Amino acid sequence: MDLVRLGKPSDRTGDVPRRARNEATIVLGQRKLFQRLGPGLMHAAIFWGFVVLFPTIVIAMIGAVSRDATLPWLGHQGWFALLVDVFAVLVLLGVLAAVWIRKVQRPARFEGSHLGEADVILAMIAGIVTTLVLWHAARIALGLSEWPAGWSPVANALSGFFGDGTATEVLERVFVWAHVLIILGFLAYLPHSKHLHIVTAAFNVYFGRTGPAGRLEPLNFESEDEDDLRFGAGTVPDLTWKQTMDAFSCTECGRCQDVCPAWNTGKDLSPKLLIMGIRDQVFAEGPKLLRDVAGFEPSPLVPNAVPDTSVWDCVTCGACVQECPVSIEHVDHIVDLRRHLVMVESRFPTEAEPMLRDIERASNPWGKAQTERADWAEKLGVRILEPGEPAPEVLYWVGCAASFDERARTAAESTARVLQAAGVDFAILGPRESCTGDPARRMGNEYLFQGHAEQNVSTLNEAGVTKIVASCPHCFNTLGNEYPDFGGAYEVVHHTEMIAELVREGRVKPRNDERSITYHDSCYLARHNDVRSDPRELVAAVGEPVEMERSGKRTFCCGAGGAHMWMEERGGAINEERAREAAETGAETLAVACPFCTVMLDDGVRARGDALRVVDVSTLIAESLEGDGDG
Amino acid sequence: MAGVLVLVEHTSGAVDELSLQAVALARQVAAGAPLAALLVGDGGSKAAAQLGPHGVASALVAEDERLAAYAPGAWARCVSDLIDRLDPAAVVAAGTNRGNEVLGHVAARRDLPFAANCVSVSSEAPLTLTRVRWGGSLLEESRVHGPLALLSSAPHMVAAGGLNGAAAPAVESFAPAVDEADLIVQVAEHVDTVATGVSLAEAKVVVSGGRGVGSAEGFGMLEELALLLDAAVGCSRVVTSAGWRPHTDQVGQTGTKVSPDLYIACGISGATQHIAGCKGAKKILAINADAEAPIFASADFAVIGDLTEIVPAITAELRRARSQ
Repeated sequence: MDLVRLGKPSDRTGDVPRRARNEATIVLGQRKLFQRLGPGLMHAAIFWGFVVLFPTIVIAMIGAVSRDATLPWLGHQGWFALLVDVFAVLVLLGVLAAVWIRKVQRPARFEGSHLGEADVILAMIAGIVTTLVLWHAARIALGLSEWPAGWSPVANALSGFFGDGTATEVLERVFVWAHVLIILGFLAYLPHSKHLHIVTAAFNVYFGRTGPAGRLEPLNFESEDEDDLRFGAGTVPDLTWKQTMDAFSCTECGRCQDVCPAWNTGKDLSPKLLIMGIRDQVFAEGPKLLRDVAGFEPSPLVPNAVPDTSVWDCVTCGACVQECPVSIEHVDHIVDLRRHLVMVESRFPTEAEPMLRDIERASNPWGKAQTERADWAEKLGVRILEPGEPAPEVLYWVGCAASFDERARTAAESTARVLQAAGVDFAILGPRESCTGDPARRMGNEYLFQGHAEQNVSTLNEAGVTKIVASCPHCFNTLGNEYPDFGGAYEVVHHTEMIAELVREGRVKPRNDERSITYHDSCYLARHNDVRSDPRELVAAVGEPVEMERSGKRTFCCGAGGAHMWMEERGGAINEERAREAAETGAETLAVACPFCTVMLDDGVRARGDALRVVDVSTLIAESLEGDGDG
Repeated sequence: MAGVLVLVEHTSGAVDELSLQAVALARQVAAGAPLAALLVGDGGSKAAAQLGPHGVASALVAEDERLAAYAPGAWARCVSDLIDRLDPAAVVAAGTNRGNEVLGHVAARRDLPFAANCVSVSSEAPLTLTRVRWGGSLLEESRVHGPLALLSSAPHMVAAGGLNGAAAPAVESFAPAVDEADLIVQVAEHVDTVATGVSLAEAKVVVSGGRGVGSAEGFGMLEELALLLDAAVGCSRVVTSAGWRPHTDQVGQTGTKVSPDLYIACGISGATQHIAGCKGAKKILAINADAEAPIFASADFAVIGDLTEIVPAITAELRRARSQ
């Protein structure tokens, strides 16, 4: 508790109904555990078992002290005895399943976890329920049972093995005391093991983020409160209390590692090992910090707890956060480590330096001239909103990639064409649009990001913009979820949402040519912002959708997120892994909804030599409208 | 008027070209007043002897074994000592990483104005100068006030002309008062990039290959052409990702940014990330089988076809022309 209290502030109050709901679904309902059915059932059996068996701890403690005493009322209830009997068996089955998973299946996600600890815990759990049932059986044999023996089918059946003599009387004492002692031993072992999660997880879930998943907590550089003024996390005292609690909640289950695109392509980063590394350092240094040991200087988290390479491997796709059953927020940890490395130590992959410099100097990550930003729109006659002109109904925020990149530009042209065909009143900012700062922010350069956020918010506010349609999921996320922190409140939609609305209203009528299309969910749409159905509606409107194995909220990154568009990739190629999955569907078209996914997956497809055509959803719609005369 | 002090960088006894440009800028400031040069490190005296034709009257060579490795604080100390001793009107250095760093230190220590990347200066007080801003996209005219101006010369923007008949400068060694605090930051190690032939960043011609080259072995024909043209070999990101070439050969946003007279892009599609690295080329010749490749939007000359036929054909034609 003291170690958590040592943490820097992080506002996790408010949103109580949402927090209560999370507690009910994620903890009691085991929702995230059920993302994997087998292990989910195993855990739920043990978890629900212990919830039901909880009163038996008190009953056993009373029974251990006095053979003939029990808990008033509940201790005499036959139905409760039945529940105990049934759930004791379920827990045992759960333990057997867990042993099966760990000893026979041995999934790769446990690589690097403390397996010995889990064995001890499982043995203790088995011991607790076995002694409980045996205790009940002995009591039935001795005629001591407070309820009709028929309510305890298992214990009753086992009671046949016991006589009613002295031996059973001794065994009855042995079982109850063994039961109580194992429980006490279990409690004593808890704080030193990964099993601490049974205490911390419920709190960690309650205090988990409730806002949009894609929003990063801004740093307040102006703060005069020393506690609040931070530049990311360099050492243990820089961590927020939630980050410390995250570290204490990890059960080393490795689900995060299993879904991590970096880990899956042979890179150093494992979200699990990252959190474990931070936890180990908190445990090693925290007590000294609490005691204020003279002359003790906390050591840097990078590379002691987490190697540099791991910090930079992350694509901020959030698959780990989505997967984690105890609401650990890995991406926030990584971004805070990056913030410290970039802003305090100036230590980051050198190849990303031009990107940061170009955003600062040229307002786009490739250093292109701002005057060329609207070149693509010229031949389409798209209106450029000049200062002082009335704001359009919808402002089309094109984004740097769709403005400048040859391949991504097609999506901008298509979106504009569709909006024109539907008669939407829209305009672009042209040279007044500047990078939202997303790559700089995900890279850890919060300072550069905030400069751009303030500038863009002031441009948008002065122009009187109320509704924005964005082509790039990263811009979409930043504009909608992060700019409110800087005074910019707009209704922000992604182009797939807007176009789907136009199709539903009948303002554009795409034609279906029944070709097979597999849709790749962009992390910043599907996972961080819950945009999943609209792009699928559009795909279904022009062709026959085929799903990839990893899709929707559990999509697999293209490899460009977290500023990786401008970094060198170590290990295997994430984009090729995703392209492989797309090709395996047998689809002829790989539909995307993000300019970076377009470039990455197109590269991936070319590298593998697949025949897939990578194309933005907006282009599929625009193409299907062609030849319709007036559209 | 008081003289002008120039910080002259040299590589083991040979004066660096960019420092000669700084000397030329210093001559503009001095307008006839004597020029003094400061040289630091081994070989300083030998380098100093070359400065006569550039108008340097006296050269001061800082000698201290602790100066063998570059240390910005210590160099700034040398400059500062000489400011006390010579009372110059201005101190000029080349706009190199070192030159700008040392003058930055001097400016901070002595609270002096520092104008970096100057292109030209007039000698009248207050000094009026033109300098490069925003990565070369803007020329700024400004006046510098103060007792003493610190100026660095924009690389390759000032011509380093020699003077006829000038005598060798008077060379004098001195021991600067360097203390430990000046040595907090110093170069610990030099790591040479394993580069053969012409350096990519400075090459006049770059022959670059992309996915279309097909394999590491495929670069053989590019190397052959490069050898004939005295060119460096570059490549795109897919090539380094595939492991065909080392990362040091990569041209692009995440690699080297090049500015040759001619950039020959073979089998490169022209992703934005690559164009960001080669857009500084004066002319781009693109060879690609795909007529739709974006590289053609940036190219001055386009050859649409199979590079395994075209590149050897160019090489053969060059050989034939040269043998005549």
